[in-house]
Amino acid sequence: MSGEEEENAAELKIGEEFLKAKCLMNCEVSLILEHKFEQLQQTSDDPMNQVSQVFEKSLQYVKRFSRYKNPDAVRQVREILSRYQLAEFELCVLGNLCPETVEEAIAMVPSIKTKGRAHDDEAIEKMLNDLSLIKKFE
Amino acid sequence: MFFHIVLERNMQLHPRHFGRNLREHLVTKLMKDVEGTCSGRHGFVVAITGVDSIGKGLIRDGTGFVTFPVKYQCVVFRPFKGEILEAVVTMVNKMGFFAEAGPVQIFVSNHLIPDDMEFQSGDMPNYTTSDGSVKIQKDSEVRLKIIGTRVDATEIFCIGTIKDDFLGVINDPTTL
Repeated sequence: MSGEEEENAAELKIGEEFLKAKCLMNCEVSLILEHKFEQLQQTSDDPMNQVSQVFEKSLQYVKRFSRYKNPDAVRQVREILSRYQLAEFELCVLGNLCPETVEEAIAMVPSIKTKGRAHDDEAIEKMLNDLSLIKKFE
Repeated sequence: MFFHIVLERNMQLHPRHFGRNLREHLVTKLMKDVEGTCSGRHGFVVAITGVDSIGKGLIRDGTGFVTFPVKYQCVVFRPFKGEILEAVVTMVNKMGFFAEAGPVQIFVSNHLIPDDMEFQSGDMPNYTTSDGSVKIQKDSEVRLKIIGTRVDATEIFCIGTIKDDFLGVINDPTTL
């Protein structure tokens, strides 16, 4: 495994493959897994027996830590965050943790403040405001 | 972090499954083989969400089994060093505590718990600040940063810290 030593999410070093891949926020995973679980329920009497432990644990986890429950809100969060030229990974960390202050957001996603990127405090503040509005009106 | 990625796998299928349900058999077998597994490179495969393509089969010499290259989309969970995430505390002892974020286990050593938090033993072992305002015990929700990962064949194990700004308890079960 090449480059594993240098892996560091804070500097967005997560490997070419994952950097290009689509990240999912907890709330999105929750929608996907619940849909899949419902399908299983229709075809089998004991769906809990059909799924792997990894599936079960993931489902419990994303249900517990989903900030947004309603599918429309989930879509809006992604739409709003994608206006800010964020990497997929950064977008999802922000969507998952919902930081309340600019300082907190930078601590959670240090890479948004690295050189050559156009995020000043004002832009970040506006982004966080937009996010909290969705939560409020959900 | 959860990702939606495309993976490829060569599936071997017994000749008895050849027929009009071949594709169906392949997909069922794929789900059975792959869901719930873990690899160091891609992390935990949580669920297969779709099959992109099934290539031409190749008969294996001598066995009659046929190998099909299958491309599929799946949801994976892959923790990264430096990543900040939320987790549920599962066990507390004097060495530190264990937490779970989905399928992955994270250990936070007592060196990586803020110095003002002391270990309290008892039937509900916990870490508490001297004024008692913050408490970490089983079922607490914490926000932590992953500082190291260890990968073995079937599991990924992480080391985390809560000794940094904006990390620590986010939800105490006793106050709910």
